[in-house]
Amino acid sequence: MHFNKAEWAKYGFIATLAIAITIPFLTDSMFILNLLVLMLIFIIFASAWNLLAYSGQGSLGHAAFFGIGAYASTIIAAKSGITPFVTIFLGAAVAAFIGILIGLTCVRLKEWFLAMVTFGFAIIVQTLTVSILAPLTGGWDGMASGRLLSPAIPGYQLIEYYAVLAITLASIAAIWYIMKSRIGLAFLAIRENELEARAAGIDPVRYRLLAFALSAYLAGVAGALQIHHIGYLTPELYGVENSFWPVTYVILGGLGTLSGPVVGTVVLTVIWEMLKATGITFGRYVIVGIILILAIIFLPHGLVSLPEQVQEWRKRHKKKEPEPVKDRNDRSRL
Amino acid sequence: MDTVGIFLQITFWGLYAGCIYILLATGLNLIFGVMKVVNFAHGEFLMIGAYITASIFFLTGINPYLIILLSMLALIGIGAVVERICFRPILGSGKLNEIFLSIGLIYIIQNGAAIIWTDNWQSVKSPYDGIALPVGPLSVPLDYILIMIFTAGILCGLYVFLTKTTIGMQMRATSQNRKGAMLVGIDVERIDVISFGMGCALAAAAGTLWVVSGQVFNPYMGSIPAIKAFAIIILGGLGSIPGAIIGGLLMGLAENGAAFLLGGIWKDAISFVILIIVLVVRPTGLFGEKGE
Repeated sequence: MHFNKAEWAKYGFIATLAIAITIPFLTDSMFILNLLVLMLIFIIFASAWNLLAYSGQGSLGHAAFFGIGAYASTIIAAKSGITPFVTIFLGAAVAAFIGILIGLTCVRLKEWFLAMVTFGFAIIVQTLTVSILAPLTGGWDGMASGRLLSPAIPGYQLIEYYAVLAITLASIAAIWYIMKSRIGLAFLAIRENELEARAAGIDPVRYRLLAFALSAYLAGVAGALQIHHIGYLTPELYGVENSFWPVTYVILGGLGTLSGPVVGTVVLTVIWEMLKATGITFGRYVIVGIILILAIIFLPHGLVSLPEQVQEWRKRHKKKEPEPVKDRNDRSRL
Repeated sequence: MDTVGIFLQITFWGLYAGCIYILLATGLNLIFGVMKVVNFAHGEFLMIGAYITASIFFLTGINPYLIILLSMLALIGIGAVVERICFRPILGSGKLNEIFLSIGLIYIIQNGAAIIWTDNWQSVKSPYDGIALPVGPLSVPLDYILIMIFTAGILCGLYVFLTKTTIGMQMRATSQNRKGAMLVGIDVERIDVISFGMGCALAAAAGTLWVVSGQVFNPYMGSIPAIKAFAIIILGGLGSIPGAIIGGLLMGLAENGAAFLLGGIWKDAISFVILIIVLVVRPTGLFGEKGE
């Protein structure tokens, strides 16, 4: 079988979609269904993070937007009585608004300055949530959050799964559309060379802010979905772990690609749950860390580049060509 | 206590807290200066240093201030291995990669430590616990004074090392111009390993002082001090060791002041508020050269 890239993408997408639609019929375990819902939510979250990285901005504090979406949606739902299906998108709008504010402080920053500020921002939001905003948010204790669907409805988990699947598909479609539109091109141009992008008439500040807003919005949707699915929220949402997971998923899957976050999330969730079944606790994180580092060193374009890599290795093996020598001291790419 | 007394007390706490941050930030600066690598997992080395000191202390009962050297030596080794296995293959492949790699390291080191030492909070009782000296209107724990003396001693030692020894001068040369250093025959990869090891050793010293000051520690405690150390080197300017010292003291003062004025919950968040203000107003840091 020798597929080219476009064919891989096409058949991969169709197969994934088919599996995603049929899987609830293959299992009647509520545990697995619940797991799948959470996995879909994290696919949205990872894709949101990836969109920001696509514009050259790596955030280490995406838990902030995840959490803000969740809190805002819960509070709006509780105060107004609107169904969570609507408040999810309102809560995410709050996250997007905050995202723009963060973006404004970050537009001039790059790389790890940006990583630092976003990381710190998640901690500041957590601190605000448990101190000044405690009367509204319940402080460290957290609060109950309206369920997406009442557990009294028969088959509610199945409906919830398909609802979340639909939102996930819509999010990925939106990201796909953005990536291939002029906006996506502008993101790429800014990421590769800001000066040249500016020379081509692209305003980096505007597009960076746009990337922040879009990414924060989707992260907010993911956070709100998760919280309405679980039915309870605590300030732990803003924790470091929630900031690091999307990064881990995307790096493993393939940074800056549409399918990367999906592949990474699915593969890592499966590995994670298998490790969980063996009963190791801390060892799981160690293994995830090792996988992440191995991926960065040996598979810099992620799992989605694996087919091409394998083909290349094979070709080289046939021709008995030596590996291309990397100049480790070449810092010109920095 | 009167206002002046409270102010002095906060200042003193700030200075003592600042000492630990200074050591951590100097280590980061050393690594950044030579390798231009951003190691987000730096706090994890502080944590390992803390645990090594505590373990040796629990086993043998030696005065923990003396274990600082052992702990630093151990971390030179660990740091060299981490540099060789993890950072060298990705050097020059982009800043974001280094950040992502650090995340992997954080996962591994934190949870590896949790496997070895469990994830319970622990603390060590210093042999000088309870001894306090009168300084002006204050009574200051002897431990705090010793911590300041140790910090000053280590920084002086580092200064001598960097200015007087061959390896130190090679490190400075590499940090100023990597290609130039290679041209004059310096083995920059060896210097990378040494710098990373020394950076980690400084983190271990910070960890040891953390332990002897009686503060609690667990495998996940490293992240927050590390991030503060980052804030400090951004405050003080990248690669500037005097900047790190001033930044460290300011940070110690600011967080203790904030904890007093706004409540303990703000102790961690305040450093980021400062950081964000500095970055917005002056992205190159207070004393920094031009950013990259």
